[in-house]
Amino acid sequence: MPRRKAQARPVGPILPFLALLLLALLAAVPSEAADTVSVEVGAVYASNEGTSIDPALGTIRGKLRSMFNYTSYRMLDRKRRSLSVGETGEFELPGQRTMRATPLPSQGDKVRLSIQISEGPRKLLTTTLGLRRGGMVLVGGPSHQAGVLILIISAE
Amino acid sequence: MDCRAALGLIEAKADGLLPREAETELAGHLAGCPACAAEDAAISATGPALRALTGIRAMEKRPALDAMWTRVRAGIEEGRAARRRPSWIARWAWIPVAAALAVLALLFYPAGTDRSPFHPSSFDVAVEDVESDVATVALVDKGEDLPRVIWIIEDAKT
Repeated sequence: MPRRKAQARPVGPILPFLALLLLALLAAVPSEAADTVSVEVGAVYASNEGTSIDPALGTIRGKLRSMFNYTSYRMLDRKRRSLSVGETGEFELPGQRTMRATPLPSQGDKVRLSIQISEGPRKLLTTTLGLRRGGMVLVGGPSHQAGVLILIISAE
Repeated sequence: MDCRAALGLIEAKADGLLPREAETELAGHLAGCPACAAEDAAISATGPALRALTGIRAMEKRPALDAMWTRVRAGIEEGRAARRRPSWIARWAWIPVAAALAVLALLFYPAGTDRSPFHPSSFDVAVEDVESDVATVALVDKGEDLPRVIWIIEDAKT
């Protein structure tokens, strides 16, 4: 019996230490999240080939149908980056295109994003957007195969 | 039957191994041989005497055996109880492990394409500036419950 107690004694301080370490980690996660913006880009191929609508589009399927005259919407790619303010993230898009997104300084739950979409050396779009965290904007028009690309850009 | 063979049968009889036919034959020899009859009587008396002696010895050792068995039984019970009762570490180790897994899940939330469908919470977007070097850009706003659209009309391709 005394030998068993002698084995358990050194383990005692470890659990409080681990608990403190985990609390510190948990506390660190939200503060880091507040300084970063999670930018997500979904590339949707809209066309009149067929009538299917990708379930991955979620609640915006109906909105796409009510806003555009295409009969088919298919998600080609979806990428997400966590970016700090001032950090530029590059997203590869279908058709040799790229999108560069840079979070800008903002206040409250607002997010400001500088967006640049290029096709090779051509700058298709340069814009600065202000949206709420969890907000979304669509960028469409670049031709792709028999239809167009519609980019779903969201920030959290 | 000679006396030497009779002695073998007497020993077998004492051990309870003598067949019934041989027992009759031995009885015939013992009736006519006083020496073998005396040997038979002596050997037959030895078995009960040994059993009685063993019983006496067992009675003498019984308290010591009981005490030893009590100690053995107590040892077995203690071993069982120790196996049934989980250690202090085993009972609480899952808490830091679960917390560590939760932290890892938060830190390494998948960033790939296999995530849940889009569920935007707001379509409130301010377009501070918009321009294009090679296309005409239109800003489409169809109401608060629909997302704002920036539409690129590629001049060279249209």
